[in-house]
Amino acid sequence: MNYILSITLWLPVAAAVILLFFPKTAASAIKGFGLLASLATFVASLGILNGFHEGVAGLQLTESLAWIPQWGIRYALGVDGISLWLILLTTLLTPVVFLSSWNTIHKHPKEYVIAFLIMEAAMIGVFVASDLLLFYVFFELTLLPMYLVIGVWGGANRIYAAIKFFLFTIAGSLLMLLGIIYLAFAHFHDTGVLTFTITELYGTTLAPHAQVLLFFAFALAFAIKVPLFPLHTWLPDAHVEAPTGGSIILAGVMLKMGTYGFLRFVLPFFPDATAKYAGLLIALAVIGIVYGALVAWVQPDMKKLVAYSSVSHLGFCVLGIFALNQTSIEGSILQMVNHGLSTGALFLCVGVIYERRHTRLLADYGGLAKTMPVFATFFIIAMLSSVGLPGLNGFIGEFLILAGSFQTWPRATIVAATGVILAAIYLLWLIQRVFFGPITKEENKNVREIAWNEVVALVPLVVLMVWIGVRPNVFLRKMTPSVQQLLQIVHKTDAGKAMIAGVGRRVSGVGDQNRPHEAMLRPPTPDPRLPLSGGVR
Amino acid sequence: MNWNDMIYILPEVILTIGASAMLLVPVTGGRGAKLSAKWMMIILLAITAGALIYCSHAVENIDQSRQLQAMFALDGFSIFFKLLFIGAIAMLVMLSEDFLAEGKYSPWEYYSLLGFALCGMMFMASGVHLITIYIGLELLSLSSYILAGFYKSELKSTEAAMKYFILGAVSSAILLYGISLIYGVCGSLNLLDIAAAMSTIVTNDALMFGIMLLGAGLCFKIAAVPFHVWTPDVYEGAPTPIAAFLSTGSKAAAFAIFARIFYTGLHDFHLEWNYVLATISALSMIIGNLAAITQDNVKRMLGYSSIAHAGYVLLGVISLNALGLRGILMYSVVYVFANLGIWATVLMLRRHQYAGERVDDFEGLSRRSPLWAFAMVIFLLSLGGIPPTAGFIGKYFLFAAAVQAGFGWLAVIAVLMSAVSMFYYLRLVVAMYLREGVEAEFAITTPLRIVAGICLVVTLALGIVPSSLIDQAVLSSSHVAAHAALTPHAGR
Amino acid sequence: MSPALVVFLVIGTIAVASSILVVAMRNPVHSALFLLLTFLCVAILFVMKGAEFVGAVQVLVYAGGIMVLFLFVVMLINVRHLPDERVLSNFWKGGLLVGLAVFLLFFTMVRPGVFHDPVASDQALRTTYTYRHRKVHQPDGTVVRKLIRRGKVVGNSEAVGMALYTDYLVPFEVASLFLLVAMIGAIVIGKRELSAIEEENIPAYMLERSETEHEVKEAMSA
Repeated sequence: MNYILSITLWLPVAAAVILLFFPKTAASAIKGFGLLASLATFVASLGILNGFHEGVAGLQLTESLAWIPQWGIRYALGVDGISLWLILLTTLLTPVVFLSSWNTIHKHPKEYVIAFLIMEAAMIGVFVASDLLLFYVFFELTLLPMYLVIGVWGGANRIYAAIKFFLFTIAGSLLMLLGIIYLAFAHFHDTGVLTFTITELYGTTLAPHAQVLLFFAFALAFAIKVPLFPLHTWLPDAHVEAPTGGSIILAGVMLKMGTYGFLRFVLPFFPDATAKYAGLLIALAVIGIVYGALVAWVQPDMKKLVAYSSVSHLGFCVLGIFALNQTSIEGSILQMVNHGLSTGALFLCVGVIYERRHTRLLADYGGLAKTMPVFATFFIIAMLSSVGLPGLNGFIGEFLILAGSFQTWPRATIVAATGVILAAIYLLWLIQRVFFGPITKEENKNVREIAWNEVVALVPLVVLMVWIGVRPNVFLRKMTPSVQQLLQIVHKTDAGKAMIAGVGRRVSGVGDQNRPHEAMLRPPTPDPRLPLSGGVR
Repeated sequence: MNWNDMIYILPEVILTIGASAMLLVPVTGGRGAKLSAKWMMIILLAITAGALIYCSHAVENIDQSRQLQAMFALDGFSIFFKLLFIGAIAMLVMLSEDFLAEGKYSPWEYYSLLGFALCGMMFMASGVHLITIYIGLELLSLSSYILAGFYKSELKSTEAAMKYFILGAVSSAILLYGISLIYGVCGSLNLLDIAAAMSTIVTNDALMFGIMLLGAGLCFKIAAVPFHVWTPDVYEGAPTPIAAFLSTGSKAAAFAIFARIFYTGLHDFHLEWNYVLATISALSMIIGNLAAITQDNVKRMLGYSSIAHAGYVLLGVISLNALGLRGILMYSVVYVFANLGIWATVLMLRRHQYAGERVDDFEGLSRRSPLWAFAMVIFLLSLGGIPPTAGFIGKYFLFAAAVQAGFGWLAVIAVLMSAVSMFYYLRLVVAMYLREGVEAEFAITTPLRIVAGICLVVTLALGIVPSSLIDQAVLSSSHVAAHAALTPHAGR
Repeated sequence: MSPALVVFLVIGTIAVASSILVVAMRNPVHSALFLLLTFLCVAILFVMKGAEFVGAVQVLVYAGGIMVLFLFVVMLINVRHLPDERVLSNFWKGGLLVGLAVFLLFFTMVRPGVFHDPVASDQALRTTYTYRHRKVHQPDGTVVRKLIRRGKVVGNSEAVGMALYTDYLVPFEVASLFLLVAMIGAIVIGKRELSAIEEENIPAYMLERSETEHEVKEAMSA
């Protein structure tokens, strides 16, 4: 058995525990150790990539131990094409956070580093957990560090923002907990086995009304997290008040926990309700795309602008998910990664100039390209990636989503496409007002150029933006089988039913340890009836 | 009764003798030694716990006389709760040291009363006969009234004791009236006999009325809405260690008898009482949590929060299934430890001019004592039911029981109110972590440190590896569950 | 109408009327005396139900002991006449309403046939049972220990005594603890100081206490 997932998961925790023994005053040693630990975690996550078998649909590198045997709750981990890149995104962005905050965090550096390490572990846990309750534990565990990060290191209105963030998320996730319990009991009545293992819960027969209720219990939790219009109101507050590192993680990874949740749980658990209410979620997503873009357009505050652009971009991801075809879902997963890279970079850049000028108002800037040419280059690349310029990653993601969703929801797609245009408008306008034109303010004449640590943090992001933009297949290839299998379950094709019958309905199975997911390891058979099966190659 | 029966009640006998002996110590000249009172109490509790464990094994080979059997049971359920009570009282003894160190009050009477209260709680946990339960409850209540008024030099404490006493006396009368009506209909007060009599009754107004009065009296003891008005005032006015006692040990004892009476005695009339209790539970959760939001006094906030927690525990009674019973056992443990930890913090901050009672007094605690602030966060998260703390496990059980029993709507209210409760728990976290606060001194004494440490370890350990507690709860509840004719449900 | 019913109606009416007068009287001594009357009537009702022992206890303990204590306390604190408005306030009307509601509830609920009545006769009520293990020689020669139950009709007080000291021994003993705790409580609350040394240099809290007493008096008279 391969323990690479556990190693990746627990490495940051171990580092956080070691950090407890560091003296408070040794700020650079603490930051250095945090960076080292996060880099080690990244290397470990490359081990996941290395061990990942392309062409396998089900969970891989699985680990399974009894955790609370009385309820069939297991410490079960696994990774598939849907979660693989999100794990890597998490482990990549954490060192970026530490690098970016190298010179900016002077208040309680030890607690800062520990909070981010715990948060990293919890986020990895969310993506690798293959037990529903274990997932829930990690899902909640991400809250407290982020709450503290916003509340301790945030801006002026930080306490309000932190509490709002916490309460919004917890209200949704507690309802999801009820849904989880109900689902497990339904499965128990069905088969006589009490289990929370995700793959075994697939295909639980639910009464139609129960399925609808559960669908909304889960969807609400994830929709708040994404955030989907009209549940997005916590996001601008949280982003504006959070420190740069918090914003990067929040936008880069935490929002993806919502979209990931839709893919991993809502779609396969409740296929009927999904089919029934996909229109509703798509409508909300499209409203979010346009609304987010329009609000971003009129923001005078740079960080708020990027925050609202997140609402818009995440709308694309949800649109792609609920279009329910191979192309759009693959595009959606890729777009999650893209958004993590580009918005992470944008928040990082906003943090860089905020740290130098202590203002985020667009009106206070102008002509920075002359004083900070290197920085301007990075900012513009990140911006273009976010806009969706062909050749950069954003284009691939958005194109796949729109191409895919046009098959099933053409009118919604047309409306959503205006979001791309609006994004170009507000982001280019941002660039124009910040970097070009004459220098109107005296303070902008001698702003310090970007520092080494910020360059080191930005370079990998930019490299990946270009890489994904040029060679998307490297990334898409690993997703294809998992997405195919997901769609088979959602569309209840014969292959999907066979898959469920192979795994979900096994009567024994709580007791036996470390069971390889034989059925899941079979290569999927492509189904010709699926629209655009195989994706864009 | 015969001599064999002595082994069944040996722990209570030892405790009674010890508590009475403590009254005699000052008379014989030991008055000056204040520390030794504490240690004598700790030793007494240790002996009682030891005797309890010894007796629980010894009674396996000894038959109980018929008379005792009708009154008193030394089963897994009672041993579970008795050990919890002894642990809680031992920690309260630790917490009380500073309060007594002021020298105004005699520790001997104080500890002796705590001992008698514990004795009452133990009889409550063991009682299988409404008279035993009632007498145990009264012993506990009377000791509590006196302890609540122990700050006799303070008007607030006297007021708290008076309020508690009068409302408590009224509720006891209601309880007794309910008991007498049940006796009138069923012809016995033994819970098994009541259950047997009820199984032959289809409907009976007087019995229903008796159950309602009994329920109302019990709801007063656990402070469920609408019998809750005394709680915040009493918690605020009583000496802080006693408020801690009322919100933990005393409350857990009331949970125990609630579970025992409704699971063993009244389960046949489930359909008649469950909606009434469900309404009380919903109201307790809603009013308790909403009222707690507006409180600036931490003791009052904890009072309202304890009302809400009574509502959560009622979920376990209402659902009347194996999960619910286990949930009550587990939640009692979880709740006692998390709450005691918070009370220890309040006591620690109490040093200056009754500081520590207001939310502001927590400001900047994370700077002054990071470890303590962290422990406090864990306790608050546990009360809020957030993983990976023990509170999550307890709440999970209760929610799952309610969902399984078809009380989904109540579970929805419960989770929404849990989210609301996080709002006021977070107020303390905000004060501790996000506000700088003044540099006030406080003294972390060793006993407080020990209590907080124990609570922290238990709360975290039960949250991360709950299997052993679950096994224990399953084992301990099996006897009562068998009487309630519960078929083994999910979760084993 | 049987004579017993007539007695019951008369005594019951007196009991109810005098208990109302207990709370309605202005003078606490009068209240206490009406309480005494109520106790006596209840004692008569007990005797009518064949519970002479309980009736006697009612007279001895309540009418004899507790009433004397009440009167003693009333005279000790020397309250002659309660202020009018405190007795007949708006709460009084509310209380009356609640009382009526509860009465109606009982009136509809408590009726013959509802209650369990396994006891056929007065004799059966006074039968106490003793249990003993006896060696019994079986026909096949083996000796088995068997539980033998023996019933015996005893007097009223003996029956109560048997019940208290056999079936109800545990709660009966715990009730004695209850009394002990009550005594401790009275001492703890009544006692003023810890030691003579502390009494000499009067600590601050004692001053506070006299203040609070003063406040209480003010509040009472206001």
